[in-house]
Amino acid sequence: MYPSASVDSGPSRFIYIHLYPLHQIILKQISDIISSHRATMATAPYNYSYIFKYIIIGDMGVGKSCLLHQFTEKKFMADCPHTIGVEFGTRIIEVSGQKIKLQIWDTAGQERFRAVTRSYYRGAAGALMVYDITRRSTYNHLSSWLTDARNLTNPNTVIILIGNKADLEAQRDVTYEEAKQFAEENGLLFLEASAKTGENVEDAFLEAAKKIYQNIQDGSLDLNAAESGVQHKPSAPQGGRLTSEPQPQREGCGC
Amino acid sequence: MSDEDDIETPVLTEATSILEDGNCEPAKNPESVDQSAKPESKSEPVASTRKRPESKPSSDLETSEVLPVQASQAAGKETVSKDVPQSGWGYWGSWGKSLLSSASATVATVGQGISNVIEKAETSLGIPSPSEISTEVQYATGETHAKENETSSPMTGPFGVFSTISTAVQSTGKSVISGGLDALEFIGKKTMDVIAEGDPGFKRTKGLMNRSSTLSQVLREAKEKEELWTSNEVTMETDKKTHYGLLFDEFQGLSHLEALEMLSRESEIKVKSILNSLSGEELETLKQELEQLKEAFSLAEFCEEEEEEKKGDEDFTKEITELFSQLNVSSKPEKLARARNTAYEWIRTSLSKPLEEKEEGEKQLEAEKTAHINKNSIEDIHAFAIRSLAELTAYSIELFHKTAALVLHGRKQEVTAVERSRTLSQMTVMLCKELSSLSKEFTTCLTTAGVKEKADVLNPLITAVFLEASNSASYIQDAFQLLLPVLEISLIENRTELPEA
Repeated sequence: MYPSASVDSGPSRFIYIHLYPLHQIILKQISDIISSHRATMATAPYNYSYIFKYIIIGDMGVGKSCLLHQFTEKKFMADCPHTIGVEFGTRIIEVSGQKIKLQIWDTAGQERFRAVTRSYYRGAAGALMVYDITRRSTYNHLSSWLTDARNLTNPNTVIILIGNKADLEAQRDVTYEEAKQFAEENGLLFLEASAKTGENVEDAFLEAAKKIYQNIQDGSLDLNAAESGVQHKPSAPQGGRLTSEPQPQREGCGC
Repeated sequence: MSDEDDIETPVLTEATSILEDGNCEPAKNPESVDQSAKPESKSEPVASTRKRPESKPSSDLETSEVLPVQASQAAGKETVSKDVPQSGWGYWGSWGKSLLSSASATVATVGQGISNVIEKAETSLGIPSPSEISTEVQYATGETHAKENETSSPMTGPFGVFSTISTAVQSTGKSVISGGLDALEFIGKKTMDVIAEGDPGFKRTKGLMNRSSTLSQVLREAKEKEELWTSNEVTMETDKKTHYGLLFDEFQGLSHLEALEMLSRESEIKVKSILNSLSGEELETLKQELEQLKEAFSLAEFCEEEEEEKKGDEDFTKEITELFSQLNVSSKPEKLARARNTAYEWIRTSLSKPLEEKEEGEKQLEAEKTAHINKNSIEDIHAFAIRSLAELTAYSIELFHKTAALVLHGRKQEVTAVERSRTLSQMTVMLCKELSSLSKEFTTCLTTAGVKEKADVLNPLITAVFLEASNSASYIQDAFQLLLPVLEISLIENRTELPEA
């Protein structure tokens, strides 16, 4: 019934994986529209032009999941369970008037998951590399995280270094200056943030997005490259007006 | 245009394997237009309009003759369809194509397989065809091939909202198709009667199901048609609320599926390279061991008769928890069990009311009114059903993903990979059955609440619930198949000292 070729699964079998499957993009877009619809019927649903994939990496307990939670929910999650493999968060932000959807992969920090989480880097447009300013060991491991990030993502992936737990000034174990210097030496963006107070959390995600957007604008990030980690929807005819599209189509087809 | 019958296959092959130049597309489009303008099905103009509102180029013209109205519709559609095919989803197909680079060698053949199968059935049954698929594949390939090589994916268009299914088709090939369809049939076979009752057009498809593996197509097409047909009456809000795909994604089902795919893919590469590094007896031994795993993944249990008593909440929770503990991973199915129990709780409360009212007012017209006063309208039930299915499926896939992550990270294991495979297989069957019985419950709700509704109002909703249930089963089975390489690598690493990849 099926041509025998259909069983064949060459290397091509999984090639698509590192990109967001199209439907996912669509679904995400529309689901955002829906949620906004639900929130306020009157408000025009939002739309976005890009999707950026982010990964958050760093040692266990540095607060990766808390940063994500603070960013997406604007709340501090005091009791955060260990992440198994990876968890997800999404939020739409705006950069230079463009709505951008961040799809954030929050990876497990436990060493034992390292081999597993390495699989998730692919196709990331941005990487948040997090350490805990009160624990020097988490800072010392950065070079290993950085190596992974460099090796497993594309050269244009924007990496931002984040010193978390900035609210715990009294227990500081890593100075701002040395981290800043490390970041500069390695061409990383850098911020100290606090998932607890929310300080700089927003900025951390935004700064990376700005940089990515800038890379798109100046052409250094090729959106057609397989692993750019960025999805653009160039064919949306009305630019910003995604919402109205599905309907007319349906009507068009239905008549 | 002379040899319609032969067109589809060669075209597909050509489109997917040869093309490096743009010739294919122009060649196809005119053809498509011609075809769509050509007459189609002979009888039941009304029914077929509904059944196939977006009739597009098809290759089964032999059976065709069409009313002018329909032909012009079809033609009109054609102008839109390239960018804007069915139900708003396909539209995005063209958008993402250039971004997606994926495997189409397999895909195309699979699609082709489906087309052929359906086509065959069609010619004998006169059932609307999968023309969208073939055409879309042509389009897609035509559009993409310029940029990408033959590994690019045309999958987005033809499957629209269901493209995750196609994703899995890509990744798991034939086994999923046949395996998946078993499940679809499993879910569908008892329920098609219900659908068919009020919908003469649908009835014809019953024969098809028994003979070939096209239930998903049938359901899918039916649903698309229903969607289009009802689109004028349904508000955008309602419409969106009931989009399975959106909800599935909202529950992070797609993300987990994608993550699982990544793990699966990496594992597969590792397995391959290990196998390549072996030879002789060693290789044979390993192959045999891996064969055992594959057997566990064949989901043979779907063949069993599924007549089981409905499980209580505790039973489900207990059973799934037990299965999980057999896996010996630290993941727990609480979220899934909770979602499942919530759904049943909702059904119970929803069912209790209408039933009473029905008894009292059975013969009276008043009953008709009470139906509208019922707390849950059929739209509510439908929306909740779709949402529940999406939620359960997303959580199931999340569990599979977590399981994969845990299996991969584990060093020493008390449970063998084969044992795990069997457990996972059982779990897959169980989850699919659960979805099946849940969808039955929901349709019972719908039927009860909608006794006074016209069939053409109620049936689309029922169809949609069944369709999404089968859709759910596919997702789950796809996810399950993705676990195979993961368990393979786990098996290999748990053996003695084999050369590492």
